[in-house]
Amino acid sequence: MLDSILIANRGEIACRVLRTARRLGLRTIAVYHHADRHAPHVTLADEAVELEADAPTAAYLDSGQIVAVARERGAACVHPGYGFLAENAGFAAAVEAAGLTFVGPQPEVIRLMGDKVHAREFAVAAGVPVAPSVLQEGDLDAFVSAASAIGFPLLIKAAAGGGGKGMSIVRAAGELAARAATATAEAERYFADGRVYAERYIERPRHIEVQVLGDGHGNVVHLFERECSVQRRFQKIIEEAPAARLDPALREQICAAAVDLAARANYRNAGTVEFILAPDDAFYFLEMNTRLQVEHPVTELILGVDLVEAQLRVAAGDGLPWTQDAIRPRGHAIECRVCCEDPAADFRPATGSARILRVPELPGVRFDGGLVEGQAITAAFDSMVGKLCGYGTERDAAIERCLAALGEFVLLGVDNNLDYLGRVLDHPAFRAAELHTGFVVEHAADLVPPALDDVDRAAVLTAAALAVDDFRELAYGTPEPHAAIGGWRN
Amino acid sequence: MPQAFRFTLADDAHTVGIHARRPALVVDVDGVTHVVRETRENDGDAVLLEVAGRSYRVWRTREGNRVHLHLGGRSFSVGYEDAITQARLEAGGDAEVRADMPGVVVAVHRAAGDPVSAGDTLLVIESMKMQINVVAPRDGVVETVHVEATQTFDKGAVLIALAEDA
Repeated sequence: MLDSILIANRGEIACRVLRTARRLGLRTIAVYHHADRHAPHVTLADEAVELEADAPTAAYLDSGQIVAVARERGAACVHPGYGFLAENAGFAAAVEAAGLTFVGPQPEVIRLMGDKVHAREFAVAAGVPVAPSVLQEGDLDAFVSAASAIGFPLLIKAAAGGGGKGMSIVRAAGELAARAATATAEAERYFADGRVYAERYIERPRHIEVQVLGDGHGNVVHLFERECSVQRRFQKIIEEAPAARLDPALREQICAAAVDLAARANYRNAGTVEFILAPDDAFYFLEMNTRLQVEHPVTELILGVDLVEAQLRVAAGDGLPWTQDAIRPRGHAIECRVCCEDPAADFRPATGSARILRVPELPGVRFDGGLVEGQAITAAFDSMVGKLCGYGTERDAAIERCLAALGEFVLLGVDNNLDYLGRVLDHPAFRAAELHTGFVVEHAADLVPPALDDVDRAAVLTAAALAVDDFRELAYGTPEPHAAIGGWRN
Repeated sequence: MPQAFRFTLADDAHTVGIHARRPALVVDVDGVTHVVRETRENDGDAVLLEVAGRSYRVWRTREGNRVHLHLGGRSFSVGYEDAITQARLEAGGDAEVRADMPGVVVAVHRAAGDPVSAGDTLLVIESMKMQINVVAPRDGVVETVHVEATQTFDKGAVLIALAEDA
């Protein structure tokens, strides 16, 4: 086993990796930007090294500096988490060139899967279905006529893209040229790569993905699927495992396709093969994420495994920890991404500070967080501050556990989506597993905060009034000592 | 007649006043009274609030003129309008103090020509069964008092005007 690890990340995922590394007895090394000097990943690690950078994100993207710290501190391996440098082939190569182990796939595999066009070609060669598509290579007119031939609606995507940036749906031929030009400009700006492609847009698609683990020598197991259809702004907010209402034969086909693809790439370590599932049960390769996913906890919950431990064992050269037959799902798990954002304002990221933070501890509930009370939430980083998971023997039980935990979860001082997540889970269509990636848009009218009845409204206003000094004084005659007031944080 | 405190919840204006303090605290919310009992939970810093017989576990924190609170499994952000802020909002250009709801004048405390400081009570009005102090939005001199005691007025009526060059 490896004896030490540098975690090239921050927030909940850095804490997540740290916990397993510590449990396995590895010496842990965190890196951080000054703005994060009090963050939990810094305090949780055995050693923490500050990175020199003006902008906070720049620190965690500074491949050269991070590799230098890893060498100086004698880290045996580097775990990239997700985001930042996790899918940067150059970083993986630099880690290996420094003689250290990269906890992830081979740099050339990261590079291959990071280019959507090459990844699609690779999937086709592996016999994995892909949606009909056409790539724009220079000539806009030729692209428009080839794309029109596929038929509408079409989805325009950046070849080098991700996270929904540069994506748009085109429903009529007349819009295509203008939208393609816009997408090219956006792709140029976000990814410094203006190539875009158009593919058939599947109406009411479901997002199904398969967790795989490979040894780098062509041996690959799958850890079943997750459904991540509930998305806002093309980004997942609720994921679950297994996918509800998925025919067992279809599940087997999708998982087998993922294994075929990963095996053909001699895939090493943990990865996720994402598919779009059409209402007619046709499924198409979307992309492969060459890293640990945000939503990996739901897989861990239904399989009783620790994916970070598996990653470290594979990285140490111990081979795959399980045979396919030994991996048996049990129960159902749902993850809710806790984000500081305003669902009423098109999910605009919100800033503030976690003035009161109470994370419920309930049976069948897991919270992966990287937030402490009093911490500022700035625009510098992603709006996701944690992941709340509920596990139960049945899907309904998992929903109830999430709902109970969301109701008890207190995060005051910054707008967040806790209440919104509860409304999604409680929606009849979610309970009936009638899921597709347009779920939150389709049901937007039902997902607004419910009106309060008169007594509840009076309670809210009275509770607020009793937080105002003048009102308290009038209510109780004499001002009470600060400590006696209760529920008070400034 | 209780003194009203002004709050906003989801962009709607509300008033909360104290109707009685003994034997139990009775608040007046938007003209309706409710018996209230507030106790502190032993094991933490949450508060148990009982309103009209319903129990709520409440967490709250005040940030400037907002109270963030968690109640009944949901989060709310309530705006508190202290008297001066409220007067400024209603003064529209700082010269005229207007009524934001219909009511009746209870008492007039200042006359034309009086110098006033921000926050001084100019009038007491009654609206929604509660008494509200109308205060000066800024330092200045009263130019005109447009109402007198017992007079009724509509929403938006100019109650008092301050001289422009204060």
